[in-house]
Amino acid sequence: MLGTQQKKHGGKLWLAVAPLYIFTLLFVAGPLIYMVILSFQTRAEGFGVINEFTLDNYKKILDPVYLGTFVQSLKLAVISTVIITIIGYPFGYFMAKCSPKWKRRLMMLLMIPFWTSALIRLYGWMILLQAKGAIYQTFHFFGIDIAPLKILYSYPAVVIGMVYALVPFMILAVYSSAEKMDWSLVEAARDLGASPAKAFVTVTLKLTMPGLLSGVILTFVPSMGLFFIADILGGNKIVLVGNLIQDQLTRGADWPFAAALAVVLMVMTSFLIFLYRRVTHTTELEGIL
Amino acid sequence: MIKKIGVGLLTATVLAASSVLAGCGNITTDGTVSNENAEETKEASGDEGSGTNEEELVLFTWDLMFPDEIIDGFEEKTGIKVVYSKFDTDEAMLQKLSTADGGDYDLIFADDYIIESAIKEGLVQKLDSSKLENYGNIDSRYQGQFYDPEDEYTVPFGAGIPLIVYDPELVDFEIKGYADLWNENLTDSVALVANGRVITGITLLSMGESMNTEDVATIEAAGEKLQELAPNVRLIQDDNTQNALLNGEASVAFLYTSQVYAALQENPDLKVVVPEEGLGFGVIAGFIPSKAPNSEAAYQFLDYILEAENSAACTQYVGYYSTNTAGAELIPEESAQLLVAPEGKSMEMVENVSQEANDAYNKVWTEFKAACD
Repeated sequence: MLGTQQKKHGGKLWLAVAPLYIFTLLFVAGPLIYMVILSFQTRAEGFGVINEFTLDNYKKILDPVYLGTFVQSLKLAVISTVIITIIGYPFGYFMAKCSPKWKRRLMMLLMIPFWTSALIRLYGWMILLQAKGAIYQTFHFFGIDIAPLKILYSYPAVVIGMVYALVPFMILAVYSSAEKMDWSLVEAARDLGASPAKAFVTVTLKLTMPGLLSGVILTFVPSMGLFFIADILGGNKIVLVGNLIQDQLTRGADWPFAAALAVVLMVMTSFLIFLYRRVTHTTELEGIL
Repeated sequence: MIKKIGVGLLTATVLAASSVLAGCGNITTDGTVSNENAEETKEASGDEGSGTNEEELVLFTWDLMFPDEIIDGFEEKTGIKVVYSKFDTDEAMLQKLSTADGGDYDLIFADDYIIESAIKEGLVQKLDSSKLENYGNIDSRYQGQFYDPEDEYTVPFGAGIPLIVYDPELVDFEIKGYADLWNENLTDSVALVANGRVITGITLLSMGESMNTEDVATIEAAGEKLQELAPNVRLIQDDNTQNALLNGEASVAFLYTSQVYAALQENPDLKVVVPEEGLGFGVIAGFIPSKAPNSEAAYQFLDYILEAENSAACTQYVGYYSTNTAGAELIPEESAQLLVAPEGKSMEMVENVSQEANDAYNKVWTEFKAACD
């Protein structure tokens, strides 16, 4: 009796889930497979590709010029992630300690920027950082004479953009971890004679570690791909893998090479997520997924 | 070589609007916004009026290529409804045309080099110039070019000649040619368009070579020379590059024609340099795809915009050099110097090159950009 009911139920469930699976297969797995195949194909003279197996696209990546873009991407991702951690961790930590009213307010402030396109917000940064932009104007308004700024189209500008775009993810991850934390454990540590610093390191930091690590993954992985920030705020002078891929898809007219670059980038980021899982023994990203 | 059109107009309006905003500097709109979704947007059409058998022309080109008055004028004159379908990049256009197997679209306007590829792919039909009454208006300087040597497939619509523009208040010497961009007084103050072939091309011109050399050693030599330019580069950007000049980020800029036009409309004190080493140019041309559903309408449209008056209106709208002799005469004196190409300068087009050379150009370009950091 019970068995048949379960079977019946299972059959219906399958129907409900099927569209999702088909959708995923078609629109997620499909393009990925196409990309991998494309990366082994040969570029045709002029336009399009020839269905001929080659490893040249991958060999080309080993060229120092192109390898450099991976190094540049990694470097930028590391710098951004470190700064994001320094800003985001305390923010998330103290947010979890706020009163519920303030938690709501802070959460709101974090969310509001997401209502606008990331691109538009970056243009906002352009206006701020421009040679005679808002920052310069403000100084002059108060009668302080400064030289026109030279921040825009530089490395620091790109880092600012990266940090700005990704810091909410770190905050949210740390916050959700810190919020779940049992604060009585910290109190116990203090009662047993631990200094505030020691209590933080031995208890709080350890307990919020999963949040911190998922924050790192959530900022590091996307920062490998946010090439448009380097484009807009960096004036195209910092060439990331993403910029190179874009170049190859357009005037460079080398789609197989672009596909190979994308495959390598994907493998790299997948490896980072794999590493994260090994370290934390979790299958989910804390707080977000 | 030719970049998105209408950029100038857009900027002009946005700059005007933003200067009202309490002097917060200039807001810039930018084509990169649209790069995000390189979607072709077909305007609502056709199906809704399925009852009436209205004739249609599917026009496929960049946004803001034709002023409303031209589209409306054509619709009024012929009774044919224009469906304006847009693309962001030449490559996206060719991809779509190739997927449609030369069908779906009646008339396409795109850049020279991509038209060459489209013709090679068999996606373009031969033009019957006898169907175009105003064919004689075309400026012969823009005919017989590499992408269509016998003028069998295309009608030129506009030409772009990237030029150097600078702010004489910020630059204390006279710039005469490409070589001056390397001047050591210009550290961190040059804005460049982000077209690798064009920038490598002018480097080659400054070395007395052809912009289209296929000799890898020469391309690499140009690459080395480009590296020396790196310390002077403030930014490399394809869209609204002129803004960098207008808002003081850069004192010198190498700009596409429409950007030169936009920059001068905003600040007439800027100086335009016609480089002594020679000019590079590109052509936007119209062609009819091989399986165009309504090629007759395409002919009518081509003929319509070839009329002197209409051609002049289009030229003044997009801000590219006129490729129409009769139309050029109707352009007012003050804008003519920017819209009618100078005579007697050596001009060369950026052409498609062999795969080997293309790879070398790609590499040199990536190397250069990375060196600018």
